[in-house]
Amino acid sequence: MNTDDLIRALAADTEAEASLSGRMWLVLVPALILALAALWLALGFRPDLAEIFGNARALIRWGLTITLALVSIRIALVLARPEGRSVVRLWPLAVVAGAAIGTLIWAYVTTPAEGLQMAVVGKTIWTCLVAIPTLSVLPVGALFWAARRGATRVPALTGAVIGLAGSAAAAAVYATYCIEDSPLFYVTWYSLAIIGVTLVSAAVGQRILRW
Amino acid sequence: MAAQIDDWGQLLTAANAGDEQAYTRFLQAVAPVLRGLVRARGASLGAAGCEDVVQEVMLAIHLKRHTWDQTAPVRPWLYAIARYKVVDAFRARGRKNDLPIEDFAEMLAASPDRDPTEATDMAKMIGMLDGRSETIVRKIGLEGASMSEVAAELRMSEGAIRVALHRALENLAVLRERHIK
Repeated sequence: MNTDDLIRALAADTEAEASLSGRMWLVLVPALILALAALWLALGFRPDLAEIFGNARALIRWGLTITLALVSIRIALVLARPEGRSVVRLWPLAVVAGAAIGTLIWAYVTTPAEGLQMAVVGKTIWTCLVAIPTLSVLPVGALFWAARRGATRVPALTGAVIGLAGSAAAAAVYATYCIEDSPLFYVTWYSLAIIGVTLVSAAVGQRILRW
Repeated sequence: MAAQIDDWGQLLTAANAGDEQAYTRFLQAVAPVLRGLVRARGASLGAAGCEDVVQEVMLAIHLKRHTWDQTAPVRPWLYAIARYKVVDAFRARGRKNDLPIEDFAEMLAASPDRDPTEATDMAKMIGMLDGRSETIVRKIGLEGASMSEVAAELRMSEGAIRVALHRALENLAVLRERHIK
């Protein structure tokens, strides 16, 4: 087959494909709704969910997790493009990480010394460390599904950022159940859960995002 | 140079909106540039071997054309795909380089009057498609038939042919991946 024949066959294929971001949101939104429903069925929401909207200390976790999710989704969409790795900007991730560390320091300073240990350990470490990765499965899977239509040249990095995005979104979902309001608890343990999912996703990306 | 960049961008924008002619012109403009790139890197593959890689890259560009952001320049996007696929192709072929030289004799001695854009891999892959997909790709590519002609011949709707062609091209990329690895 010569190249002009191939060009003729390629040009005849005018099936349009949805853009990456359109495809991504199309599956991510249902995935998050399902994750929220699963959380509600398995653990229920915290009983005072409506009241904590006045509590800044508790609200920061949504600020952090939702910002991390949005920033990571944006970065994943850039990395999913072939030229993405040369145009991507990763510093917004550092800003979010800085904000998380800042929150942690602020909580450390403002928590009375005798309450520190209780605040860090809380009562639900294991629930948190199991629930966040479990709730991540759907959003991370949805993001991978969309990214496979992309063309990344850095599969492991793209996988990692997808893991970050999906697990941060899962953490925001989990926060509707989580009763631990001290940043000492949630910054520490949410981060650990998110880092775990991110590492696994990097390995998955390395395998399934090749093209 | 700048005019050329805009030109490619306009062609691909029109192509992604479904303009078949603009797309043909885009691919025709891109092919020689890719050929130069591949030959500069892999002269040892011979003309036909290089053209295999060129066609592989063209197929990848086709299947990933929706990843181009219309507000971004075309060339970095295009070269990124080319680089990724060329490295991939040479790596895959590099593993076979321990073959005795006799196996390449025929290729090295390829007569100068043969079509330099003729390649063999793609035809092999097309032969591995299921019967109907093979017919569709052959009719449209090699015989230059139109969608409606193929639709009439296979007694399918044009829409169904369109979808089948798209699937067939995706399958070609998958077959190719399996075949060279």
